[in-house]
Amino acid sequence: MKALYQIVWLPPLMSFVLITGLIECSITLMDLPAYLAPRPSAVALALWVHAEELLKATWHTGVAALLGLGMSALLGALLAITLASHPLIRRAFYPYAVFFQTVPIIAIAPMLVIWFGYGQGAVVAASFIVSVFPIIANTLNGLLSTDPALLDLFRIAKASSLHTLFKLRIPGAIPHFLTGLRVASGLAVIGAIVGEFVADSYEDGGGIGTAVEIALKEQRTDLVFAAVLMSSLLGLLIFWLVSGLNQITLRRWHLGEFKDS
Amino acid sequence: MDGASFRIIGLVMVMLISSACKNASDDQRVGAPFKADIQLNWVPEPEFGGYYAARDSGLFDQEHLEVELKPGGPGIPTLQLIESGQVTFGITTADNILIARDRGADLVALFALYQNLPEGIMVHAERGLGALEDVFKGGTLAMEPGTPTFKVLEKRFGFHHLHVVPYTNNLAPFLHDPLLAQQCYLTAEPIAARRAGASPQVFPISDTGYNPYSGVLVTKRDVLIKHKEEVRRLIRALKAGWTAYLKDPTPANQTMHQLNPTMDEATFEASSIVQTPFIIGMPATPIGQMNLERWQTLSGQLVELGLIQPSDPQSAFLPSE
Repeated sequence: MKALYQIVWLPPLMSFVLITGLIECSITLMDLPAYLAPRPSAVALALWVHAEELLKATWHTGVAALLGLGMSALLGALLAITLASHPLIRRAFYPYAVFFQTVPIIAIAPMLVIWFGYGQGAVVAASFIVSVFPIIANTLNGLLSTDPALLDLFRIAKASSLHTLFKLRIPGAIPHFLTGLRVASGLAVIGAIVGEFVADSYEDGGGIGTAVEIALKEQRTDLVFAAVLMSSLLGLLIFWLVSGLNQITLRRWHLGEFKDS
Repeated sequence: MDGASFRIIGLVMVMLISSACKNASDDQRVGAPFKADIQLNWVPEPEFGGYYAARDSGLFDQEHLEVELKPGGPGIPTLQLIESGQVTFGITTADNILIARDRGADLVALFALYQNLPEGIMVHAERGLGALEDVFKGGTLAMEPGTPTFKVLEKRFGFHHLHVVPYTNNLAPFLHDPLLAQQCYLTAEPIAARRAGASPQVFPISDTGYNPYSGVLVTKRDVLIKHKEEVRRLIRALKAGWTAYLKDPTPANQTMHQLNPTMDEATFEASSIVQTPFIIGMPATPIGQMNLERWQTLSGQLVELGLIQPSDPQSAFLPSE
C-alpha cells in the first residue's frame, strides 16, 4: 500500500486546506470587511454562482494564451537558433531580445490594437511578447552549452555544421528549451490577461481580464479573487501540459530530467 | 512592584488619558491645524481646480486645516484607501459611493462638484449621427466594461449591432478609425481630439436620464462623526476655492500644469471653460450642494441595473446647511 504522503494530490490539497483555513480564520478574527479582504468561503461561493461565466472567460483566455505560447515556442526557438549560429549575430541582436522582457505592454497596447485590431489578434500578440524571452534565453543557453567533446567527435567524423546543429546541438538544447517553455507558460497567461485589459472584444463576454475588470468596477472583491483563482488554475493547467510534453520528449534521452516532477 | 508605585502609575495614566480627551474636545483652531489628505482620482487637471485654488490662496489655512492633495491615476483604489483609513477624503462618483455602501462600506458624500455628469460618447462628426441612439446602430464603441454607465447604455440601446471593445484612456484608436465611438469626459477627450485634427461630436450620457453627481468628495462616517466641525470647515474652504477658481482659473491651472506637464496650458484653459456649466448646474445650484431626490433617483436606477439592493440613500450624503 502506498504511504499517504505519496498520493500525488494529497500534499497540495493539505496545504490548500491549511492556507485557506488560516486566511478564513484571520479575516474572521480581525473582522475585516469583505471590500478589503474577501473570505475564501465568499470566493468559493462566487466561483460556484458564476461558474459558467468564469469557465467561458477562462476558455477565452486559455485559447489566446496557448496561441501566444505556441508562437513564442516556435519563434523563440528559431530566434535562438539564429542567435546561436554566429557570435557576431549574437552580439548584434541579443541585447534587443531583452526588449521583449522589459516592454510595458500597457504602453504599446494602443499600437497592438491598431496593428492587430481588437480581439484575439492583439491579445495573442501581448501573450507572445510577454512569454517569448525565457524561451529565447534558455534555448540559446542550451545551444551554446553543447559538450565540447561531442563537438570534437562530430568534427572528427567530418559532420557538416547543419548536421551538427540538427543531430547534436538542437537535441542537446531541448531540455533547456522546455525549461524556458515552463517559465513561459505562466507568463503567457499573464500576457493574455493584460492584453484583454486593452484589446478584448466583449461579444462573447470576454476573457479573465475583462471578468476581473468588471468585478473591480462593481466592487466585488470576492469575484475578483474568483477570477484570479481561475487564471492560476489556467496557468497550472498549461504548466502541466508543458511538463507532459517534457516527459514525452525527454523520456528517451534525459532520464535524470524528472526524478522529482 | 509595590502598591504605591502601582497607584502612581495608574494616576499618571488617568491624567494622560483625560488630557488627551480634553485636547480632542477643544476647539482645534487653538492647537495644531486639522491634518487631512484628499485622494484625487486622476492626475491634476481642471476637475480639481478649486482644490488647488483653495490650497494656494491659503483658504485651507484660514479654516485652520492642513490639507494634502494626493494626485491619482488610472486604477487608483480611492474608495478602498478611504475605507482602510489610509486617506481621509477622496473623490469619486455618486454611483460608486452607493455601490460601495451596498458592499458594506459606510461612506458619506460631502460635496458634489459636478451637478451634471460630464461624461459622454464621442463620435466623428463626419458620421452625421443625430442622437445618442444612432451610435448603437453600427461601428465600434470603446468603453470600460462593468461601469454603471456601460450597463445603462447596454440596457437602453443593446450592444447587438456594434462591436464593443476596451477603452484605455488613449485616443489613438479613435483618431485611427472613423467608425469608432468612445466614452469620454466632455471636459477632456473632445478637446484633445480636436487638437489632434479630428472633428469630434459628443452625446452626453445624462441624455439617457442617468445623471449621478460626480467629482464627489467622500469620507467614512467615522471621520464625519469624529470631526464634524473640521469637515464643515473643509467644505467652506472648498466652496470658496471653487468660487475663486470659477472667477479666475489661471493661477491654479498654472500650478496644476507644473504637476501635470503633459497637459498643456491651452488645454487646461479650454477644459476649465467647458466644465463650468456642469459645476453650476441647470437650474443653477449653489456650489457642491446635493439633494435627496437626486440620490433617490440614482439609487433606484442602480437597483434596476442589478448593481445594488434597494436602500434609502438618506444617510449617503451630508445635506447642506
